Amino acid sequence: MTGKAAIVHDTGLESYGFGGEHPFNPLRLRLTLELCEDLGLLEDHPLTPSGPATDEDLTTVHSLTYVRMVQQAGVGSALLSDLLAYGIGNGDNPVFPDMHAACARVVGGVLEASRLVARGDATHAMCISGGLHHALRSQASGFCVYNDAGVAIARLKQERPGIRVAYVDTDAHHGDGVQWMFYEDPDVLTVSIHESGRYLFPGTGTVEEKGSGEGKGYAVNVPLQPFTDDDSFISAFEAVVPEVLRAFKPDLILSQNGCDGHKLDPLTHLSATTRLYEHVPARMHDLAHELCEGRWVATGGGGYDIWRVVPRAWGALWASVSHQELPEKVPEGWLEKWGAKSPVGLPRLMRDDPAEYPSGTRAAEISDKNRRTAEEVIEKALPLIR
Amino acid sequence: MLQVKDSMAREVTTLSPGDTAGDALALCRERRIRHLPVLERGSLVGIVSDRDLRSATPAFGDTARASALAEVRVGDVMAREVITAEPDDPIDEAANTMRERRINCLPVLEGGNLVGIVTSSDVMESLVYLLGAHEPGSRMEVVVPDRPGTLAGVAGLIGELGINIISVVTGPRLEGEPPSRVAIFRVDTINSSHAADILEKAGYAVLWPPRP
Repeated sequence: MTGKAAIVHDTGLESYGFGGEHPFNPLRLRLTLELCEDLGLLEDHPLTPSGPATDEDLTTVHSLTYVRMVQQAGVGSALLSDLLAYGIGNGDNPVFPDMHAACARVVGGVLEASRLVARGDATHAMCISGGLHHALRSQASGFCVYNDAGVAIARLKQERPGIRVAYVDTDAHHGDGVQWMFYEDPDVLTVSIHESGRYLFPGTGTVEEKGSGEGKGYAVNVPLQPFTDDDSFISAFEAVVPEVLRAFKPDLILSQNGCDGHKLDPLTHLSATTRLYEHVPARMHDLAHELCEGRWVATGGGGYDIWRVVPRAWGALWASVSHQELPEKVPEGWLEKWGAKSPVGLPRLMRDDPAEYPSGTRAAEISDKNRRTAEEVIEKALPLIR
Repeated sequence: MLQVKDSMAREVTTLSPGDTAGDALALCRERRIRHLPVLERGSLVGIVSDRDLRSATPAFGDTARASALAEVRVGDVMAREVITAEPDDPIDEAANTMRERRINCLPVLEGGNLVGIVTSSDVMESLVYLLGAHEPGSRMEVVVPDRPGTLAGVAGLIGELGINIISVVTGPRLEGEPPSRVAIFRVDTINSSHAADILEKAGYAVLWPPRP
């Protein structure tokens, strides 16, 4: 498979973060980019710069009142009591200086990536700072202020009337924000595979959430059991994603590649390894070539073990987006530079050793439940997609 | 909030005792309802369900069905002893009545006049709202010793983290000594593990999220 790949990034995209001990730490982007560079994966791919999203871009999916609130929060001219009603200023989404500017840059990066692909300037494009899938129309949620994928899809629809976009979200958390933004839209298929919301944030993403009105059938959810491992996650992905995408026939695929389903991730309870984070991009890549001439935009998303998991998972993502072999070893230079700063020992290989991730005692039971969930999804969702 | 008047349907489809079973079943189908209060001169005199009507008439395909549907009167098949609620009743009381009497709906009377109807689906919906299950959030389960102040202690620690509590319910814990309760919180944070760490350090047992 061929096609030109682009990576949209610049250091301006690394200012989106909440500071201090907050788990959403933009250092993970720096670690990822430097790892890609040290692996030689950026040699033929200069970073594509991008600008901020405009207010007009943002208000395709957000209310103007909310955008104004974020703008005022970032310059300290809003009352905390007012901000809290918009999900800003709480423990998850604290105010940080110039937050509007930083958040608008992330949206601008994903907009740029999606326009490159839609125009045909690139076949695949990655913007690893994107993937802020919890942001709602008038509310910050789950570390997400503006919904980059939501804005990018809404703009694509305006700029290319009739375009059909498939959004595939494999973050450990349900992709609720994007789902609700296009819940009644039959031209946008949202697919989310995530840890069941029974206990995990945001609590939504049941099989029964299928879209409504004209959009009925165009939201697909596969909630997985806590402690799901690679094998079972991959089986569920394979049972659902290719079939629903083939039925939908997208013109462009946008994937949210959160890697917080890794066993080491502190925020969720899935038990995946780097194998999942190599498998998913490889298959998105295949499906993009099979269904829409390769048009594929990849973003990041959640991922809170920023030292051991995120750089390797997203390094593998970039290798897939850019048709390059993933090297076996983590480069010595990278290990030397970051080993001293990391509070945990850094892995020396790009791929996890399966021996270090034995199956849990309940693996068979969990995989059985997930298989039944995937069957139910196919039975209920597939007939509704046209 | 959480009173019958907040959950009940205010537009009630009613019947008269003289209506036929056929008309009554047609109403159930059209409006997708299953319980119809019966009024006579403005007073509630009975209640009939689609099931009562069906069991009082011959099955589909039976040649006697058409004539029976036209002949059987609502007054002949309705239940005359009607259990009702009042608008100011707490919804949990209405739920308990339905559970104890094994029924699925209660007509709502105010000063003897029919003002609404509340069904078991309405109770379900208020349960969802009560628990906040429609808002983004994480679920946490914390064991709280059964004595004054412990719930406040847990809630205080969560509050100090800047986390809003969407809902909290507590119930008896069936295992362990001394007796304790489990508090189930719905909190508006993606990072409930951090809150769990803090609670554990303060000596509370956290049942969910799981601890490493």
